[in-house]
Amino acid sequence: MLMSKKIAFIAFFMSFLQISMLHAQDRTISGTVTSAADGMPLPGVNVVVKDSNNGTVTDFDGNFSLTVNETDVVVFSMMGFTTQEISVGTRTNFDIQMDADYQSLDEVVVTALGITRDKKSLGYATQEVDGDDLTFTNEQNVIGSLAGRVAGVQVVGSSGASMGGTQKIKIRGVNSIGGGDQPLIVVDGTPISNANFAGSAGPDLGNLGQDVNPSDIESVNVLKGPAASALYGIRGQYGVIMITTKKGKKGVKDIDVQWNSSFTIDKVTNLMPTQNLYGGGSSQTFRTLPNGDPYVDILVDESWGPKMDGTLVRQVFSFYPQDPTYGQLTPFSPHPDNIKDYYETGYNLNNGVTVTGGNENTAIRVSLNDTRIEGIEPNTFLNRNNFGVNASLDIQDNLTVSTNFNYATNSARRPSQGSEVGANYLIQWFQRNLDMNRLRDYQYDDGTFLHWNLRRPSTATGEVTNFNPVYWNNPFFEAYENTTEDRRDRFFGDLGLSWDVTEHLELSAFVRSDTYTQNIESHRAFGGKGLPGYSIGKYQNREMNYEFLASYNNSWDEFSLSANLGGNIWDRRYSYLSQATVGGLSSPGYYNIDASIDRPSVSDYLLRKQVRSAFGMVSLGYQDTYFIDASLRNDISSALPEDNNSYWYPSVSGSVVFSEFLNLNALNFGKVRASYAQAGSDLSPYTTTMTYGVGAVYNGITHLAVPNSLYNPNIEPSFAHSYEAGIDLRFFNNRLGIDFTYYEQQNKNQIISLDLSGTSGYSYTNINAGLIENKGIELALTGRPIETDNFSWDMNFNINHNKSMVVELHPDINVYTHGSTTYSSVTTYLNSYEGEAFGSLVGPAYQRDEATGQILLDDNNMPMYTESNHNFGSVLPDFNGGFLNSFRYKNFDLSAMIDFQGGGQFFSRSQMLAVRTGQHPISAAINENGVNIREPLEAGGGVKVEGISASTGEPVTAFVDAKTYYNNYVGRRIYEDWVIDASYVKLREVRLGYTFGENIMQNLPFQSINLAFIARNPLMIWQEAPDGIDPSEVSTGSQSISWYESGQLNSVKSYGINLNIIF
Amino acid sequence: MRKIFLLTLISSLFWSCDNFEEDINVNPNLPTEASGMQLVANAQLALSDLSASTRGNFLAQYLAETQYVGISLYPEGGVSFYGWYQGPLMNLQAVIDAEDLEGSEGPVANQKAIAKILKGYIFWNITDRWGDVPYSEALKGSENFTPAYDTQESIYDNIFALLKEAESEIVSGSVSSDIIYNGDMAKWKKFSATVRSLMALRLSEVDPQRGEQEFNDALSAGIMESNDDNMIFRHLAEANHQSYWYGQVVDQNREWWALTTHLVDEMLPFEDPRLPVYGSPARATVTEDYDGDYVGMQFGDTENLSTEAYSLIGPAIYAQDLEIHLVTYAQALFAQAEAVERGWISGDAQSYYNAAIENSILQWTGTTEDVEEFLNQPGVAYDSSNWLEQISNQRWVHLYMHGYEAWAEWRRTGYPSERTHPQGAEIPLRLQYPDNEGFNNTASYEEALERQFGGTDNMYAPVWWDK
Repeated sequence: MLMSKKIAFIAFFMSFLQISMLHAQDRTISGTVTSAADGMPLPGVNVVVKDSNNGTVTDFDGNFSLTVNETDVVVFSMMGFTTQEISVGTRTNFDIQMDADYQSLDEVVVTALGITRDKKSLGYATQEVDGDDLTFTNEQNVIGSLAGRVAGVQVVGSSGASMGGTQKIKIRGVNSIGGGDQPLIVVDGTPISNANFAGSAGPDLGNLGQDVNPSDIESVNVLKGPAASALYGIRGQYGVIMITTKKGKKGVKDIDVQWNSSFTIDKVTNLMPTQNLYGGGSSQTFRTLPNGDPYVDILVDESWGPKMDGTLVRQVFSFYPQDPTYGQLTPFSPHPDNIKDYYETGYNLNNGVTVTGGNENTAIRVSLNDTRIEGIEPNTFLNRNNFGVNASLDIQDNLTVSTNFNYATNSARRPSQGSEVGANYLIQWFQRNLDMNRLRDYQYDDGTFLHWNLRRPSTATGEVTNFNPVYWNNPFFEAYENTTEDRRDRFFGDLGLSWDVTEHLELSAFVRSDTYTQNIESHRAFGGKGLPGYSIGKYQNREMNYEFLASYNNSWDEFSLSANLGGNIWDRRYSYLSQATVGGLSSPGYYNIDASIDRPSVSDYLLRKQVRSAFGMVSLGYQDTYFIDASLRNDISSALPEDNNSYWYPSVSGSVVFSEFLNLNALNFGKVRASYAQAGSDLSPYTTTMTYGVGAVYNGITHLAVPNSLYNPNIEPSFAHSYEAGIDLRFFNNRLGIDFTYYEQQNKNQIISLDLSGTSGYSYTNINAGLIENKGIELALTGRPIETDNFSWDMNFNINHNKSMVVELHPDINVYTHGSTTYSSVTTYLNSYEGEAFGSLVGPAYQRDEATGQILLDDNNMPMYTESNHNFGSVLPDFNGGFLNSFRYKNFDLSAMIDFQGGGQFFSRSQMLAVRTGQHPISAAINENGVNIREPLEAGGGVKVEGISASTGEPVTAFVDAKTYYNNYVGRRIYEDWVIDASYVKLREVRLGYTFGENIMQNLPFQSINLAFIARNPLMIWQEAPDGIDPSEVSTGSQSISWYESGQLNSVKSYGINLNIIF
Repeated sequence: MRKIFLLTLISSLFWSCDNFEEDINVNPNLPTEASGMQLVANAQLALSDLSASTRGNFLAQYLAETQYVGISLYPEGGVSFYGWYQGPLMNLQAVIDAEDLEGSEGPVANQKAIAKILKGYIFWNITDRWGDVPYSEALKGSENFTPAYDTQESIYDNIFALLKEAESEIVSGSVSSDIIYNGDMAKWKKFSATVRSLMALRLSEVDPQRGEQEFNDALSAGIMESNDDNMIFRHLAEANHQSYWYGQVVDQNREWWALTTHLVDEMLPFEDPRLPVYGSPARATVTEDYDGDYVGMQFGDTENLSTEAYSLIGPAIYAQDLEIHLVTYAQALFAQAEAVERGWISGDAQSYYNAAIENSILQWTGTTEDVEEFLNQPGVAYDSSNWLEQISNQRWVHLYMHGYEAWAEWRRTGYPSERTHPQGAEIPLRLQYPDNEGFNNTASYEEALERQFGGTDNMYAPVWWDK
């Protein structure tokens, strides 16, 4: 019913504009309009006398009344339902049942700048997702909920453990060589920031787009190509996610109250497998104390130690005089679940209430949402509140004032992720013998902290004298003492005035704002690894849009015309003040910049940018069959050099609804479309003039540095040219729909930040260079294979294939480095090479014999490796898509969302380290002799290597020491084994719901109740990647392209219930 | 009426559209002007990195790794030199090229002279490590994104010329904001000449004639005359400017470095007074009544590692406000001892040698007490029949913790001769180029590889002067 109400509202609104004159009438008819499918009243149905402007809409209970002539024909129409025409005759009571018109073609979609268009007139691809489809399991991040739902959209998410972590979205592949090609998010016409404050390590603070309350969303329309988003200019060059929120209804006075609650239990899942034979240490013999007692090597954070066979040894706890096991020997045995034991059961409680109402000239909707999440990692939480109001008031018949007001507040303590950060070091460096439950109580009564990684006991006394942790804190110390908290207050919304000057001309003006303050503070306590410290940052952003739009719509005979002319000033002011203590804190627990031992570091920043724009768009239709659109936009950016700061770009698109003249039985709708558009881009402010770097004052001496980035005063705006063609088909009374699009985009002369040889004196510069070409296809299938009175099955399948090529780069430089990361002195890269697919993984590979391809071995029979320049191929997937199935049987509904990806790859440092540190089963495998590889070579142990000796050229088959092989070669210097295929098929969301019948409702003060079981992330159906790595969650905070995984938060499964009550 | 409304609305929106506030694109967050000495000071802050390197100390086999043995096994792999170019060298080049320096920080000529001297000094370090590197086409920003690699020989020529030019341009008057010599131009001049003398000595095998001439040129220009002339980078007792080793050992609790047997064997038998500064007694040997023994760790060992059984680097070495002596009077004296033996200069090699050790001990321990006794021991006492080995070994002891310089002298002289080949690996003869030169500067990089090594980067190919 929500669906039809939504449609009703739009229809209502449209029809409202048309009613301005009344015919002479002689009598009044009335009645109730209901849905044929379920008998529920249909509000917002247009009831219009044919060929006149006389009409009304049904009220909330589906009732209408209208004064008509006896000879009139009354047309009942509503989007999503088959239009009915009924002659008035002598009837006065019209109880009408309307049949659903599945996937109606007269769909009205909200396009750029909020201009509503008849979908069939569009010459470019857009895809709309209904709000209810996005939130059927109450997913709280709108970007994340788009995963798999829209053809051509790739979402890379983060683990649920991050609680509101980053969800990255890309539309139609990679269009910017810098990778910063996130689409623009627009809520009810207001562009909002989707910034991300997360780094590649530390807490994943998530994308700010999640401040949109999912239950406010009526629909999301994805404008994919530049033609669709042309009216947004530079900000829309990578596509636009248009979010339309639910609104109140004008008409008969009515109030609707809805309550929605969901509760889920969250559990850690997909932990990396571990070996449980060998414990902590670097050799298989125990070290001994002066008294001869063996002890676990507590300095070592690897598991290459002795067999965990229950030998009585001194374990770390026994060195703490405060510990009950002090001085005692305890069995050295495995704790197979020691990593799992760190995690808790999380929960997620969400409550939302909405009140919708209106009368003749007012519509209002108020929503309130409260989310409380306790994470699966200890001491983590997220609380979020959303408050939204939208209202519109007709001051006069033709003058309307409206506002949308959204407020969101977040407060969280999130777990950290990244290489050796937070608790995610556990799979990277740890001892298999440690009992996590013994570590949980991380502080003794006297205040001493319990850690597991200490300097070795004295060889003289057998006592540990220094209880400062060496490499790792107790993970619980990390969770409870070294915390990071973030808070954000966000407001976005608009105030608008629209004036219907005539029947055909509407003028509107809006002031739009998106403002937030983000606070981040982090603590490092005394008693842990490293210096204690504190940092605090306050980040403030204000974006204003001042907007004017004139719309003219008219039709003459067979022609229709829609023209829009507008202007926009976008003004951004972003500032931050972030500070950190240096050299430690003055006293424990005193977290303040004033506690800094040495001069604290301060970063104080202001950014201002303005873009002024003017635009126009004309759309012409002929016979409701042929449509042509053209638009032109001019942007003037303050970030570009003054002489070069203005640029224009056009778009043109056309479509032919060929089913209007081709009468084919099975095909009830067919359209071909084509478009061409240019989109421009500019760059960040302050990159065209020279500034110097500032460092900490040395003994009163100030110093400044020539920056590593070479400024470029000659930068020009760049243009992307995109071409798109497609066909939309509907068969069998709309039971089957096919949308197919082919597109090509050429991003020329891009403004790129090019890595330079440091020998030039700079590390990078902004230049205009390059040509990236994107080609792709998108296919969306919709269908209703089964439809009976009691049972229906709807499916929605989409898939897309995209190929991004770097055709040209720079006359002198043909490799572009997107990013690099160094670990153990080995640097790996994400590079693009001229003439190759975008974004290749680059790192050291095995050296291979040219003739046979066999691995070359050195004189110790260890594999030889290349420099870190081997190209392992592109990280981008070959295809991805999604498959949504919804079933309805009587009062039950079942929905399941599957998304999938083929191809793509990334480096997994977690797995590499798990092997290197002897935790992964690979490091304790059984070899060809049937002996554990860790056993001595003499005993048949060792890793079998096969290859060709580099010095003799002879083939070699040999067994080599496992620890040396993994610790110094394969787990450290050769990345070939850690290139992980990112293909997967994932069951992302499932919901099984039941709507209580009307007979029950009659005795209750509710209109309807729906109770559902929901599951998020219940099952990875198939993945090419090894266990313990989720290829769909390789989103490392701010990395614009996910290319390596390191210490990602573990995956989370959620199961729960959802209750929806309409009063 | 409507038209007027419309026009007003539109025109108010687009009024003066292409004129933004004048300063909207001016970065308010960073300064747009820098003085000459501010840039020089920033370059000087990078100088400690010339010695503060684990890799250099492994190449010189001063230190062994007590855990996670890795770099000391001499694995293949590029080492980046970008930081030197992008950082201090670009700052210095900006000062050298500047046309509008102000004299408020001292004579412009002197500011530029310091910049040139430091540029020469840093490039000398770079070429000694990597061999051929970009020089003449480097540091030109947008004029050349892909600088060609100059031969080491031509880089040496250029540095000699640059240093001489700088010395000749020095005028009277000190400069401010000089972290190294506090504006004392006479010391800068001596430093520059000393660098030239050490560079000249590097030519002893490849071009002794040139070496002799340059050495004498340097001496006549006036080299260092006491430890007061040493080129010292002084860390401060605060986290913003603390030593690398303090950060590692104290802040990060890393007891990763023990003295090698090579070092302890060279010092312990002679009760070298510098040993208690260089390292701590092995903890396993310390008792209540006994200070403990100095025990070296076998370089390259990967099994049975210990932090207890061996002498770790001493507290003076990881002091927060560590003074790093980069170019020293003692080095100059060792150089002169060697020059005498090579017949480049006249004089008494033994007295240069003795003075070198005396000043080294003074530099490291703050006293020359008992130096005479130390010098008189057989094995330390000067033996001109074995001059090269003896000078080289004692110079190696002196250059402790300045691994790269000690490694260069080892490459030139072959001494100390007692070296370990960890897991069979030879000691590299140069550093490999950074991987990303192959991406960013492909043609020049490949040309340099082809010219020097027939195509593949090779850490076992000797640099030009290493014959």
